[in-house]
Amino acid sequence: MRQKLAVTIAAVLLSAVPVWAHHAFSAEFDVNKPIKLQGTLTKWEMINPHSWFHLDVKGPDGNVVSWLVEGGSPNQLIRLGVTKKTLSVGTEFIIEGYQARDGTNKAVGRNFLFADGRRLFLGGSAPGAGGTEGK
Amino acid sequence: MTRVLGIVATFVLLTPVTLTAQAPARVTPAVPSKTNTTWRVSRTPDGQPDLQGFWTNTTYTPLERPKNVNKPFFTEAEALELAKKAADNEEAQTEPGTIADVHYDFTQFGLDRSQGAQALNLRTSMIVDPPDGRIPPMTAEGQKRTTERAEAAKRRGAATDAVQNQSLSVRCILMDRDGPPMLPGAYNNNYQIVQTPGYVMILVEMLHQPRIIPLDGRSQLPQNVRQLMGSSRGHWEGDTLVVETTNFTDKTAFQGSSANMRLIERFTRVAEDTIQYQFTVDDPSTWTKPWTAELPMEKTIPPIFEHACHEGNYGLYNTLAGAREEEKKTSK
Repeated sequence: MRQKLAVTIAAVLLSAVPVWAHHAFSAEFDVNKPIKLQGTLTKWEMINPHSWFHLDVKGPDGNVVSWLVEGGSPNQLIRLGVTKKTLSVGTEFIIEGYQARDGTNKAVGRNFLFADGRRLFLGGSAPGAGGTEGK
Repeated sequence: MTRVLGIVATFVLLTPVTLTAQAPARVTPAVPSKTNTTWRVSRTPDGQPDLQGFWTNTTYTPLERPKNVNKPFFTEAEALELAKKAADNEEAQTEPGTIADVHYDFTQFGLDRSQGAQALNLRTSMIVDPPDGRIPPMTAEGQKRTTERAEAAKRRGAATDAVQNQSLSVRCILMDRDGPPMLPGAYNNNYQIVQTPGYVMILVEMLHQPRIIPLDGRSQLPQNVRQLMGSSRGHWEGDTLVVETTNFTDKTAFQGSSANMRLIERFTRVAEDTIQYQFTVDDPSTWTKPWTAELPMEKTIPPIFEHACHEGNYGLYNTLAGAREEEKKTSK
């Protein structure tokens, strides 16, 4: 897992900080509602503009609650060899993120971790994607 | 660390000679390849210079030259160092509890620029004319229009007041990459070019926009027919495809342009893996003089996965639903 970096970039940087999102995420999700979910994957929607992970999360009372967690555009993953089968239904995830402003069971997945703490790093090293990091 | 895709660093110099390196990791020093002075662009069956294939214009080079840089080109060493810093910056993790942290980690989805093919460029700005690398001053008319647009946006209210107040990109209608001109954003900066006798088609990955450009010399659409992406007509000048686009609308404004912007794009395949893309913005009602930018398009891995943005745009719904929920809370 990568350490937090406080990188000071020279003013001469080739480009300004890029606009990552195609919309303002802080308008969709609430910075004051950080969440940590542990659950199993029931569905992965590899869709645009952002992908969505469906998770079943078991609460302390034993009740299972379904959550939808937003991730990135899947197009580059597909170019890197990731398919729908790369992540199996039933995979256990720990997701740190922020809950939707409308208070429903939706969140943005700031960080996706496997149950054993390995970082999901789909870009270059998802299982089956050919990379090594995160394995 | 092994990545599926190494960065393809191509330095496009003033002369169409490229130095290409395929490196196993993020950004590594380029190793000059054998310079091939006998390379010639191949032809399609009907005799056009062949621009077909899949291309990316992902870059760290800014449109305008940073104010503290006063030369048109970096040295190769400087460009690599800056690209590495930019890549490190993209990979850096944000601080929990901050607005910047309310986002998925783009590196987990391969969306940081150094994880894909990239056309690195020794230029310090995309703008090559004026020579200072910056957009020329706006005319009084251009400044007035910019002010009026800002005031009109203010009158419409907050972005979350109505779906129409959200930008065309948030509404999955048009992205910067669609252009024209086609400028890269952070990710999915991919294009497919297909040529048939009499036409060139450029498909932009985001938002899956095909631009069909006739080459038969027909006139532009009538002045009263306006389109978000304008009306494009092309012709060949030697081995360069020249595309003129007019008939824009007032709903889009490239850097503050007017609906009467006349845009000239030039596509020249300068190497097997590189198209030099140049565009000139001619809009006398907005800028004191025309200006020109250029950036390379680098060959990339096919295919392009459909970017069906509107169908999956849950984010727009969530944003508006969140705003309504917060209004309910504050009105109690």
